[in-house]
Amino acid sequence: MQQFFKTFKVAFQAINKNRSRSLLTVLGIIIGVAAVIMTISAGEGATLEVQKQISGLGTNLLMIYTKTEHRAGAHVRMGKPVNKKDFDMLQHNAVWISKLSPLIVDVAQAIGPNGYKSIAIYGVSDQYFDILSRDLASGEFFKEEEVTTAGKVCVIGKTLKDELFSDLDPIGRQIRIDKIPFTVIGLLKEEGKGAMGQDQDDIILAPYTTIQNRLHGHRRGYDIIMASAINEDHIIDAEIEATELMRESHKILEGEEDDFEITTQIELQEITGNVTGILTILLGAIASISLIVGGIGIMNIMLVSVTERTREIGTRLAIGARESDILTQFLIEAIVLSLAGGVLGVVLGIAGNQIIYKLTNFFIPTALYSILIGFGFAALVGIAFGYFPARKAAKLNPIDALRYE
Amino acid sequence: MTAKKVIETKNLSRVFKNGDIEVYALTNVNISIEEGEFVAIMGASGSGKSTLLNILGCLDKPTSGDYYLDGIHVNKLNKNELAAVRNQKIGFIFQSYNLLSRTSAIENVELPLIYNRTGKFTNPKKLAEKALEQVGLKSRIYHKTNELSGGEQQRVAIARALVNDPALILSDEATGNLDSKTSIDVADLFVKLNNEGKTILMITHEHDIAQFAKRIIYLRDGSVLTDELIKNRSTKESALKELALTT
Ligand SMILES: Nc1ncnc2c1ncn2[C@@H]1O[C@H](COP(=O)(O)OP(=O)(O)OP(=O)(O)O)[C@@H](O)[C@H]1O
Ligand SMILES: [Mg+2]
Repeated sequence: MQQFFKTFKVAFQAINKNRSRSLLTVLGIIIGVAAVIMTISAGEGATLEVQKQISGLGTNLLMIYTKTEHRAGAHVRMGKPVNKKDFDMLQHNAVWISKLSPLIVDVAQAIGPNGYKSIAIYGVSDQYFDILSRDLASGEFFKEEEVTTAGKVCVIGKTLKDELFSDLDPIGRQIRIDKIPFTVIGLLKEEGKGAMGQDQDDIILAPYTTIQNRLHGHRRGYDIIMASAINEDHIIDAEIEATELMRESHKILEGEEDDFEITTQIELQEITGNVTGILTILLGAIASISLIVGGIGIMNIMLVSVTERTREIGTRLAIGARESDILTQFLIEAIVLSLAGGVLGVVLGIAGNQIIYKLTNFFIPTALYSILIGFGFAALVGIAFGYFPARKAAKLNPIDALRYE
Repeated sequence: MTAKKVIETKNLSRVFKNGDIEVYALTNVNISIEEGEFVAIMGASGSGKSTLLNILGCLDKPTSGDYYLDGIHVNKLNKNELAAVRNQKIGFIFQSYNLLSRTSAIENVELPLIYNRTGKFTNPKKLAEKALEQVGLKSRIYHKTNELSGGEQQRVAIARALVNDPALILSDEATGNLDSKTSIDVADLFVKLNNEGKTILMITHEHDIAQFAKRIIYLRDGSVLTDELIKNRSTKESALKELALTT
């Protein structure tokens, strides 16, 4: 044990004596480890972001819409659009569904006191806010009464508010949507970028009845019926029930296929989870390659070091070092270098994540396991790629080594 | 009363095999060296001097024959035991010094003590300082080896060979890389150490250096040709006078 400490000291001296070479070795590992941490964290960050967005949709969400198929590269509607009849059927009969809202999406021109913009306008019911669990920054949501009377009121997002109102308080003011005046009664709390990168604050929400009746003639169908199950545990029940009710409403006979589709939150999470999981693995794999390259760098430099220091090794053997002393010394050198690289790589990786956050506002949580993987891999690389040169050094014949030119 | 035998070889032979070719580097060498002797080994290039020294220094093993070092039957030792013998019984001095570069003189001298597992040397620094003082380098203790002259570097190497208080000092052409004047200084240092009781065995090509020893062994083709005591030993003064005459 005492001998081990002495050898440890010898290894440290050797590292110190060959400072520039040691630094180069460490650099390869630093970059490798930092790359692993940053890429894995980026993948994790993306996953987290997407999951946050999806759960932001409301955890019990179901979406019911007309079946579409890919035909010649385009989505083609396969059945009747979902409509009021379906909506009423669900509303009156479903026990596992607690909230329902139609969703009609249109594009319109919105004009405010300080600007105008072409924008997506969502026609929904008052229950929509609960289904998607969106909150208000100020003002209020529209009520059931405004939906039944097709009131000309709307709730807008922060991005749109900035464009139409600048710094003015929008509550109680009017905007014109395709020439029809609407009163802004609520301002949505900022939500940021959505799962697919869309701005969730660039939006107008208005009663669907208003959109159907006043804005675009008498549109009959809905784009989607949004629903929420009574709780998370009954999403599947709600889905089965909604399927049955929709089939009844569409008069689909036994054995015939559905002409609508129902997507639940769970499915959404699974799909995106798969995609982002693959992304993380892929990024991690690419980063690991850089770590292996760093490891080969260590081996290369250690091998050069053994050759360069052949005489030194011969001398040490001649004055009484055991083979195991030499092996330990070179192994310690390799491990110390790669661990130092590992530590600095972790620091650089975390700093890199912070810098990306500062620059792009994309928050990357440094995944603890990415630190462990990066650091562990660095240690492994040090041992694995350090062992071969160390063994080579220990096995040198002292007489030949002393004579080495 | 007979003095203790430091080296005793019995029919020592060393054969190198290179494929089908066999090189008989040493054949039936019988040498015995007692404590306190100062022996020079001479002989033509290829006569087996280094081969003999490597075996005596436990860096190599004989093909046949027996070797006793300070009473130990070296043939029977395994690798780690040989390393321990090298560490505790022998001090090596090489032609090309073999010091660690970019390392201070004292760190170089401490090196054998690092590998000493007996726990005998509790203050390596002090011992290294003492050894450097013995070779006249007290003022160069913290100099890096690359800041020293050839003669000074060889003195550091000699200090390193002394520091573990070995039974035997082995030198393979220690003066080979030095000029005549410096060679004489090193030979004189050997005499001084021998006078202090060290047993020294040195290989040399140079006659005038060999004359500092007490005894000369000539090797030819791997065998002992002559082995006799020197009657008129050189001293530093006589050698310098000689040097002045020839140049
Ligand atoms: N590893 C080896 N393999 C094969 N032959 C060797 C080996 N080492 C030494 N020899 C041979 O053994 C013989 C003696 O060599 P050695 O090095 O002992 O000579 P030397 O007396 O030290 O010569 P020099 O004065 O040139 O140093 C030579 O013929 C040499 O070629
Ligand atoms: Mg030789």
